[in-house]
Amino acid sequence: MNLWTGLLNGAISGATSILLAGLGGAFTYYAGVFNIAMEGMMLMAAFCAVWGSFTFSSWVAGLLLAVVGSLGLALVFILFAVFLDTDEFVTGIALNLFALGATTYLLRQSFGVKGVYAGSDIEPLPALTLPWVAEIPWIGPVMAGHNLIVYGAVVATVASAWLIFRTRFGLRLRAAGYNPASLDSSGVSARRMRVYALLVCGVLCGLAGAFLSLGYVTLFSENMTAGRGWISLAAIILVGGNPWGVALIALLFGLADVAGLLLQSYQIPAQFTAMTPYLATLVALYFYARRASRAIRGRAAGFRDE
Amino acid sequence: MAKLFNGLLGIGVALALGGLLMLVQGYNPLASYGALLQFSVADSYALATTFTNAVPLVLTGLSAALAFASGPVNLGQPGQLLMGALAATVGGLFLDLPPLLMVPLLVLLAMAGGALWAGLAALLRQVFQMSEFIVTLMLNMVADFFTIWAITYPLQDSTAYSPMTPPIAQSGWLPEWGDWNSAVVWMLAAVAATWFFSRRTRAGYEWRIGGQNSLFARLGGCPVDRNFVWVMLLTGALAGLAGGLVVMGGPHRFLRGLGANDGWDGVMVAIVANNSLPGVFLYGLFFAAIQSGALGMELITGVPSEIAMVLQGVLVLAIVASREALQQVTARLAVRRRALERRA
Repeated sequence: MNLWTGLLNGAISGATSILLAGLGGAFTYYAGVFNIAMEGMMLMAAFCAVWGSFTFSSWVAGLLLAVVGSLGLALVFILFAVFLDTDEFVTGIALNLFALGATTYLLRQSFGVKGVYAGSDIEPLPALTLPWVAEIPWIGPVMAGHNLIVYGAVVATVASAWLIFRTRFGLRLRAAGYNPASLDSSGVSARRMRVYALLVCGVLCGLAGAFLSLGYVTLFSENMTAGRGWISLAAIILVGGNPWGVALIALLFGLADVAGLLLQSYQIPAQFTAMTPYLATLVALYFYARRASRAIRGRAAGFRDE
Repeated sequence: MAKLFNGLLGIGVALALGGLLMLVQGYNPLASYGALLQFSVADSYALATTFTNAVPLVLTGLSAALAFASGPVNLGQPGQLLMGALAATVGGLFLDLPPLLMVPLLVLLAMAGGALWAGLAALLRQVFQMSEFIVTLMLNMVADFFTIWAITYPLQDSTAYSPMTPPIAQSGWLPEWGDWNSAVVWMLAAVAATWFFSRRTRAGYEWRIGGQNSLFARLGGCPVDRNFVWVMLLTGALAGLAGGLVVMGGPHRFLRGLGANDGWDGVMVAIVANNSLPGVFLYGLFFAAIQSGALGMELITGVPSEIAMVLQGVLVLAIVASREALQQVTARLAVRRRALERRA
């Protein structure tokens, strides 16, 4: 395996959780929900995955529980933001902090440790070797040997793009965000579309969290999502929710992640290299803001000419 | 009145849910809550501990509440707190003046550190139109790694086993009177000053109006852009002050994990207080009481003290939900009354 395949391999691992959470957020973005609870959903899922895998000695149980845990938070979000009409921003922040507190408490309660649990009795996700993929030159070595959820994320990207843009469900979903009143008057409840979007988001964030704690590493540590949910939110905003765009941005962040690791071998302290994904987000935000302000200026110039 | 009722309802629901959680896990909830009370307010020492714990919560809470009420979504309290703590630590390591000069100087340095970090976000917003919401969040992570680097390499105490700085000059330690730490005085002063500024000065009025309706404020002649920068600087300074006081009042050095949850706790305090400044003070004290009482709970009934974080999370959700539910009920009642009046 040469340097470049190693690099791309690492980038794919680094990108997967951001991609999955970002796809979940894309559904809610189109449905008109300002959902910032991805961070909390992922964290809760990451804990439940480790707990399930440890308790039942099976990664399948871990994966299922991760989705259940994440869906639990999604249901609370639905109850609050969709049915009680609470402020989405406040609810999201509260849920994220609740997830942080709950997982910290449960870590202490279930494993009797503070900070990190990394026992050898956690069963990680199995690596999958797709025989026909490994033989493709160039792409093969990069794409082969990842775990289940990485391939799941690829499938999820295609499926999300198809669902959102090519199906009746997707049309209604986008209408719920674009013009909820007219969707309601056509006989489809915008509220129900938001519920569906949040449920899908819960499932995808569950997978993202399980990947973090059973795939990327095999442990749970306090606040281990470390801002990945926020990065995925930034990715959604940057590309306006388009799943293909989210995938591209997630890969870029994965690359930034790996580039950080590479820089470490050049005597740069680990603390600085660990900043790269966050700095990359700031850079991406800069380009987005520049494009947005140019578009506004262009429109203003158009008005003047008329 | 409605606010008080709503707060009590939320607290009641949160405590009931917390008790249920303890019951399910085989602890005695009543004995646990007894211990919580005993170790948070029962005697002078407990009360002093609660007030000292409240210092960073109230200050970051003020920071978040003032920012949210004025418009800017400054979620950078954790990072601004760390940078403030680092600035105060650096000052305390390299300077040694008489305490009467040293303490205010370190306080100012802490505020400058926090303001600088928030100012960076304000600059990116003003020059490049980058949303301060995501920028402050990302800067939190950067500040986190930066301070860990600073205490691991350049400022490290070579005699210590884990990353930390040597203690700051003793002249920079906040004086203590018995159980009471003078950090509390700084906190009370900050609460009073922030309230006075927000309610009794023209700039404070402009900020509040800008938060309620930015367009109205602009058409009314408020310098909205300039106010944005000032809000960020001041709220950053408040969070930085929290960090400085934590260093100067407590461990007198920058330890790894210092102020770890204080920034986010402050955001929670601001949310439950619905950005009201007196509310931030009261809920900050309440959160601090839960945190100091939780240690007592662990001692007496064995409930892990991390339950404080669960209680806080549930409390925020319960108060937000009851606030919205109450509003909906009152709105519905008003509609019905109007309908009845029209019929009559």
